[in-house]
Amino acid sequence: MVACQERVFGRQYRRASVPRSQRRLAWEFGVVRMGGRVTAVCCVFFFVLLANAAGARQQKIGDPPEASNMRLVGTSDLQARSAYQPTIHHQGDRWIAYIGHHGGTDDIPDPVNPMTGKPEPNGTSIVDVTDPAHPKYLRHIPGQEGKYESGGAQMVRICDGKDLPKGDRNAVYMLRTFGSEAHEIWNVADPANPVLITRIGGLKDTHKNFWECDTGIAYLVSGAPDWRTRRMTQIYDLSDPAQPRKIRDFGLPGQEPGATGAVPTELHGPISTGPQGNRVYFGYGTNKGGFLQIVDRDKLLNGPKEPTPDNLKFPEIARMPLSAMNGAHTVFPMPGMPIAEFAHDKDGKTRDIVMIVDEAIQNECGEARQMVWFADVTTEARPMLISSYTVPEASGAFCERGGRFGSHSSNESMAPVYYKKLAFIAFFNAGVRALDIRDPYHPREVGYFIPSITAATDKRCVTIGDKERCKVAIQTNNVETDERGFIYAVDRANTGLHILELTGAARAVAGLP
Amino acid sequence: MMRSWQLMVAMFLALGGLSAVAGYEMAPPRLPQWREIAWPFPRDGWPAGRAFRCGVAECGTEVEVYFRPKLGFCNCESGVADDDEVDRVSDVDMISPRFVPLKAGDVLRVADMPGRVRAYDVDGNRAAIGIAVSHRCDLMAVAAQGSGDAAQVQRATLKFLESREIRTWMIAAMEGR
Repeated sequence: MVACQERVFGRQYRRASVPRSQRRLAWEFGVVRMGGRVTAVCCVFFFVLLANAAGARQQKIGDPPEASNMRLVGTSDLQARSAYQPTIHHQGDRWIAYIGHHGGTDDIPDPVNPMTGKPEPNGTSIVDVTDPAHPKYLRHIPGQEGKYESGGAQMVRICDGKDLPKGDRNAVYMLRTFGSEAHEIWNVADPANPVLITRIGGLKDTHKNFWECDTGIAYLVSGAPDWRTRRMTQIYDLSDPAQPRKIRDFGLPGQEPGATGAVPTELHGPISTGPQGNRVYFGYGTNKGGFLQIVDRDKLLNGPKEPTPDNLKFPEIARMPLSAMNGAHTVFPMPGMPIAEFAHDKDGKTRDIVMIVDEAIQNECGEARQMVWFADVTTEARPMLISSYTVPEASGAFCERGGRFGSHSSNESMAPVYYKKLAFIAFFNAGVRALDIRDPYHPREVGYFIPSITAATDKRCVTIGDKERCKVAIQTNNVETDERGFIYAVDRANTGLHILELTGAARAVAGLP
Repeated sequence: MMRSWQLMVAMFLALGGLSAVAGYEMAPPRLPQWREIAWPFPRDGWPAGRAFRCGVAECGTEVEVYFRPKLGFCNCESGVADDDEVDRVSDVDMISPRFVPLKAGDVLRVADMPGRVRAYDVDGNRAAIGIAVSHRCDLMAVAAQGSGDAAQVQRATLKFLESREIRTWMIAAMEGR
């Protein structure tokens, strides 16, 4: 802007020495008549206007949230810790949110826990959200020392002991990652006083696990030391969480120990449909070279287990590649969706759908757009992308707001309140977006909420030339829903937890009163 | 007067000639001639990088080098941790998906960035090397192939990567570091 102003004033100065005929022309445009003052005023006016416009794109502390058909119910600052997976569990007559955290930041590696007065590496926050308007922070369990994705305890899943085949009926089990080095199981029956039960360690990485509560089978995203990839799957029987039993290692041919040649894209995370659905959907890649892998669960669990290329291929039903410019963070299955448009068709009235969510990783649009894709996997051997969704960049000048813009993850709750009707997508600086997915061939945004930033919101920087340029923006990272219909969005840039509810037309889509 | 002018010219020429000879003798040996070629691989998730070729006459064996930044692709804390990571990220798989490491890799620095280098046999008939170096969360991936032995390809490649032009480009490509 300053350069523009200088250039305009420079032009005005030069006009004073131009020939009379040209000055006459300029006079007719009212430029010289006031000795250049009109130009100066106009320049200042436009400068201020443009500066305001640019400023409007960036969030400021005190700005209200931006919202459509969604409303803020309550917040928790989560001790200003960078947040990843929230899991909300109905526990007796209480509702408890378990929230995983990334590691600390360069500026604050170990934030102080106000409950203990001590600095603690980011780990797991446990928050009582029974009254969502007044969340009550119960406990922080420290995670692995380390910054950003190198520390913390980002992933968390919960199973009741009464659901697990060999669990303690009085226990509530929390499976969490411990940074990059281990998986842990805690008894959180008393969520304010968790007790460590088991640790599966010796890993080089961890990530987005899945745990079947009715069988105890857990798909642990791990970096087994001898595998050629940072992230593959270790399958465990955790039906008795105190006695983990390993079933097998699983990955893509080429990732196994001793292989040579190209190493396929690393795993991001699986979701299983359990023994009934008999499918496990694996998402590979983050923001590049991603694909969806459809696996026969029974063959996976009971087939030959030695990690040879043939054995790794054995349970695979199909693989659907995305563009090399997109990855697959979340692959969320929605089998048997009735499609209203196809209701009168002789065949194909219902479709098996998988929603695929890429993860944006670069700040300020420094990569291809990461977004949401819908795949029709009804004919499993020939899965096909049928539609996509992204937040229109121009709707908020999101590439200029700072931080990441693009999708990251979706809610994973299969509770009836939203399942196959509405999906919630964490879209970093575009907040959380509510999609009407009843017709997955034509997904439609019906609401959004972009939380306000606070003093805790961390900056996000890009390098311009040899200098860093930083901006502060909300970075809605993950989102989950509970059976009551509340939506829990958490922020990667330390802003905390935002508990939301739907309003207006979006609420009607879910059939909520 | 005329004679002194001729003497001055002769002295000037003689000094100039001596300087030229001295300069030639003391100058560092010239780098073999590398020619930039078009990026030879199809589009993938990362933007194309730069590719160079050096002929038998200049490098002793024909060598091609490919390199490109992969921003946000590295473990921000541990950098390039092991040989598996070199196998995975260095772009050797673009040359051919059938590559076999010849031995364990070595640590090295390229453009002041730490990382690892590893040598491979490709398709049973060519040598290749893969290099992955990192700065913070960003990675510079280098792959090279040649018809000579792997050590020869590696020597020629590393010498080229240390040239001022390439170092400058790599630093700029890593967004100024």
